[in-house]
Amino acid sequence: MSREEEIKKGLFDHTLVGEADEVVELTQEGIDLGMDPLDILFGALIPSLQEVGRLFEIGEYFVPEMLVAARAMQGAMALLRPLLVDKGAEPIGKVVMLTVKGDVHDIGKNLCNIMLEGEGFDIVDLGVNVKPEEVVAAVQEHQPQLLGFSAFLTTTMPFFKSNLAALSEAGLRDSVKVMVGGAPVTPEYADSVGADGFAPDASAAVRLAKKLMVDMGYDVSMGGDDSEGASALTTAVQAVEELMVKSGKHDE
Amino acid sequence: MEQMTSKQRFLAGLYGDPVDRPPAASIVSVITYELMDITGAHFPHANIEPEPMATLAAGAHEVMGFDSVMPIFSIAQEATALGCQVDWSDTDMMPNPTDSPWADRDVEIKLPDGFPDSFLEDKYVKCAIDAIRLLKQHFGDEVMVLGKVMGPWTLSYHCYNTQEFLFDTIMDPDRVRKSLETLAPVPLAYAAAQIEAGADAIVWADHATGDLVRNTMYRDYLLPHHQELIPQVEAPVILHCCGKTLDRVQYFSEAGFTCYHFESANPPDEMVEKAAGKMKLTGNVNNPVTLYARGPDEARAEAQAAIDAGVDIIAPECAVPLQAPVANLQAIVQTCKDNRHQ
Ligand code: B12
Repeated sequence: MSREEEIKKGLFDHTLVGEADEVVELTQEGIDLGMDPLDILFGALIPSLQEVGRLFEIGEYFVPEMLVAARAMQGAMALLRPLLVDKGAEPIGKVVMLTVKGDVHDIGKNLCNIMLEGEGFDIVDLGVNVKPEEVVAAVQEHQPQLLGFSAFLTTTMPFFKSNLAALSEAGLRDSVKVMVGGAPVTPEYADSVGADGFAPDASAAVRLAKKLMVDMGYDVSMGGDDSEGASALTTAVQAVEELMVKSGKHDE
Repeated sequence: MEQMTSKQRFLAGLYGDPVDRPPAASIVSVITYELMDITGAHFPHANIEPEPMATLAAGAHEVMGFDSVMPIFSIAQEATALGCQVDWSDTDMMPNPTDSPWADRDVEIKLPDGFPDSFLEDKYVKCAIDAIRLLKQHFGDEVMVLGKVMGPWTLSYHCYNTQEFLFDTIMDPDRVRKSLETLAPVPLAYAAAQIEAGADAIVWADHATGDLVRNTMYRDYLLPHHQELIPQVEAPVILHCCGKTLDRVQYFSEAGFTCYHFESANPPDEMVEKAAGKMKLTGNVNNPVTLYARGPDEARAEAQAAIDAGVDIIAPECAVPLQAPVANLQAIVQTCKDNRHQ
């Protein structure tokens, strides 16, 4: 195994168990050796975080494990980000995320943020207890492609509808795709309030976000070769569709 | 069998003695907007003034028919006294801590000066003690009066910030232990004051749930505290921990709780199998789907399933959604009445 390969394997393994110091050291070593920052990101860090998501989904990992893995990856990202910017690597999309008014549950939303960010989305987190007028202002200010509402209480779920109404009133509803989630939320409820998608966990939220981006005609083939734009897009659509079918979460 | 009073029935359920019919209980909150309208006691007063608090809590027995009443509806009653920010003014929502005094890791973990006296004199802490006293005066020994405290794990969510606390369970175990140790005297002091005011038993909420943490976190961090604290409470203690918990009831049963209040995420027959002979069980009618969105027939079916599985005290699983219809809660009580033993 070459040193580059060892570094990638080490990054995967240490991120998986949240060993932040090792992850930072290996990332720095990789950079010093002249490794492609995109390769470090897409060849090691993102696959590791995807594995974290999978382990969480099947109940092998709990919230603390996911938090420490994400924080380890954040250390590496701090080193990689300037290099990625130099290479012109753009985020694959911008997402504004929030927990609705009256609700302070934020762990589920934060985990979604971590996974989305890990996949290359730019996240604007508005926090908890966010009022409809604040949602409108944030969409105006940040102009995201995607908007995510989180609610954990049956008393606060109706704010999905209030937020959507406020967006319509401001003439902004068609400018974004809206995803919703949270413990008591069901696909039927998401449908009934007029959201564009629902996901039951953080990994599914990533798949949903990518699918919505593709629906809007964006390329989510992260790190793909631009000259093959069209075919990369088709491959991405297929890959996302496949994942949706595999996980039984394809919306009919 | 002769008809029992609500309190006799609840206590019999709690100790495994014969009952005239299965007890139906308000363990954590069963209050709803409709109950507020019926009793005339609304938020925010019912969270911050003893009289409306007691009036609303009494509705659980007088309107819904439950065998117990419990006046502490939110999980935030202690939070202000411990230095958290809480918005107590909302008319529609449960109050909840929004800012944690120990979130900044440079801050020293310690209780506010003057504990326990200053704690017990805090407006919101005292409000609940006074409401318990009013309920006791009103119901005497007819109805079971429950108190409720947050244990050191849930108080750590409040004081430390939930996410930071969970992160540190792996990254900084010493600070987590310090937090639990520091907060351990709080539920003891609060429980003692509630018992002195007339509480017949204490609900002890500590959310080390399978939805958030591995079962070994409960075993290694919290169980030793529970084993030390629970025997010091001079009344039966009912543990509340929502979410998936089948993988940790064995540990709960080693902590000295008389009874465990569990959620619908755990099938009642499996829970009974795991807890049989170790502690009593109460639960587990589903909130968000059944009590909130469905009707009395579905509530009845779930209550019956809990009775058939051998759950000792029948109750909703957690704090009932505030928009749930009163009829759905009455259906739980009616199901218990229909199961009268001959
Ligand atoms: C932890 C917790 C708390 C903590 C919250 C800490 C925090 N900072 O978040 C504390 C203790 C403070 C709390 C308070 C309360 N809680 Co609480 N709480 C929970 C608990 C145990 C776990 C929730 C959680 O974080 N799970 C872990 C995360 C990772 O999993 P998840 O929730 O499934 O999230 C995933 C998906 O939902 C999805 N997702 C989430 N958001 C989004 C958004 C988008 C856009 C997408 C696509 C996907 C997505 O991805 C996430 C990651 O995989 C649940 C129990 C349960 N069964 O859910 C109750 C629960 C949510 N709480 C409940 C209640 C009643 C309350 C209180 C009202 C209690 C009270 N009496 O005051 C207060 C409310 C305070 C308020 N105003 O908000 C009820 C809600 C019932 C209802 N439907 O109305 C629940 C369901 C318990 C129950 N069975 O009754 N709670």
